[in-house]
Amino acid sequence: MNNILHIENLTKNYQTKEGIIAAIKNLNLEVKKGEIISLVGPSGCGKSTLLSIIDGLDNDYSGYIQKDNKLKIAYMLQSDALLPWLTIYENAILGLKIEHNLNRQNLEYVDYLLDLYNLKEFKNNYPQNLSGGMKQRLALIRTLALKPDLLLLDEPFSALDQQSRLLISDDVYKIIKKEKKTVLLVTHNIEEAITFSDKVIILSKRPASIKKILTIDIKNESSIYERRKDINFNKYFDIIWKDLDINEE
Amino acid sequence: MKNNEQKYLKTIKKQKIKILIWQLFILFLFFSIWEYLTSKEIISPFIYSSPTRIIKCVIELIHNHNFFIHIYVTLKEVIISFILGISIGFIIALLLYEFKFLAQILDPFLTMLNSLPKVALGPLIIILWGANIKSVIIMALLINLIVSIITIYNGFQCTDEYRLKLFKSMKASKLQIMTKLVIPSSYQTIIASFKLCVAQTLVGIIMGEFLVSKQGIGYLIVYGKQIFNLNLVMTGIILLAIISYLLYKIITCLEKKLLKHI
Repeated sequence: MNNILHIENLTKNYQTKEGIIAAIKNLNLEVKKGEIISLVGPSGCGKSTLLSIIDGLDNDYSGYIQKDNKLKIAYMLQSDALLPWLTIYENAILGLKIEHNLNRQNLEYVDYLLDLYNLKEFKNNYPQNLSGGMKQRLALIRTLALKPDLLLLDEPFSALDQQSRLLISDDVYKIIKKEKKTVLLVTHNIEEAITFSDKVIILSKRPASIKKILTIDIKNESSIYERRKDINFNKYFDIIWKDLDINEE
Repeated sequence: MKNNEQKYLKTIKKQKIKILIWQLFILFLFFSIWEYLTSKEIISPFIYSSPTRIIKCVIELIHNHNFFIHIYVTLKEVIISFILGISIGFIIALLLYEFKFLAQILDPFLTMLNSLPKVALGPLIIILWGANIKSVIIMALLINLIVSIITIYNGFQCTDEYRLKLFKSMKASKLQIMTKLVIPSSYQTIIASFKLCVAQTLVGIIMGEFLVSKQGIGYLIVYGKQIFNLNLVMTGIILLAIISYLLYKIITCLEKKLLKHI
């Protein structure tokens, strides 16, 4: 597999009234095409900052980030961030509209995604008519419509209750697998990290650096429920839990 | 299921009719008591006027071809000042949102201007612009502009941070962020500023007409006071109440249309 992203010695500091706070320190990361990588770590350790830097939203850092000029990155946030004054269809094509890329091929792809993920019949409705899960699916379709090479998912399910979280994360997992996307997922949820990914990267507390990279060897890719049943699931859980060491000073 | 929905809609309709009947009843009661008290001279009809005296006054004004001219003048001044106040306020709010440094510089001045009693500027306005419609409009603008700037600017600032991040991540231009996100996000506040602005504009216009005008409802009230014709004063007040209600209603209709899905 080819590397689509290479990060070397990434350091990010924030200037505050109290002085300089280091958010990320000497972080190295490689992402290969088609990989799904989860980033787990203590709250406020700099996971979301890392995604912002990768996406180019934050350019105030030191270190080296190599990514192809043509590498298309799309960001899916904790909130669905749908626009309530636009219809579901208009929300789905929002990114394409911003990119001035509303050609027939792209619009057909959006239609295909809406149809595939059971939102086509609601396309002229407004987001407030959708359930939490449908909103999240629509947010993902809006992201996929841009045909990104790398998907950044920043705790996309954290605003949902446990039941919806399981259902929607399974939906999203299947969509990502089907579309063969490369993904960097930030999550607090260890189970989600294991069931979603090929690799789990455990970050230290702030300033974030990589503590451990754990390869997840679960062959079954049919659904996250099936992946949970894998005999190694508990073993991975224990490793991550110990390495996260939330009580560490 | 459909029956239940129809029942629910019927209940809501019934409730609305009930509210309207109550509102009309309160108005009827108010005018009846007023009429009764003045006709029995429990309160002085000369000072307090009465509904029948007001109707007679309106008929007299219509006969003298003055009635519609006064309404027209006031409405014209209100509409011009309102449109100017909202448009200039909107543009300044946009500039403040886009240039945070400018917003920081102007913040104390805006607060100061907002709390300044504008009527104190009346004499200065007359000296600068003369006793004409211009002065009336400027007086109204002084009152409604700061309110519309502050309200619309606050609305822009409340744009959802996740949506902003999404737009930035989609590499949206500043213009796209403004037109596709910040302005539509603020519809609610913009409409709220319309409501505030229309009320403030009326205050400004009447204040202006008190000071300089020779036509308009404000002038009618002042003229009525000068010749001690309190029927004219009361007619002016009732006309103002009707105009402000109608303007408010127009904005509420606009609100329903614009905010249907928000």
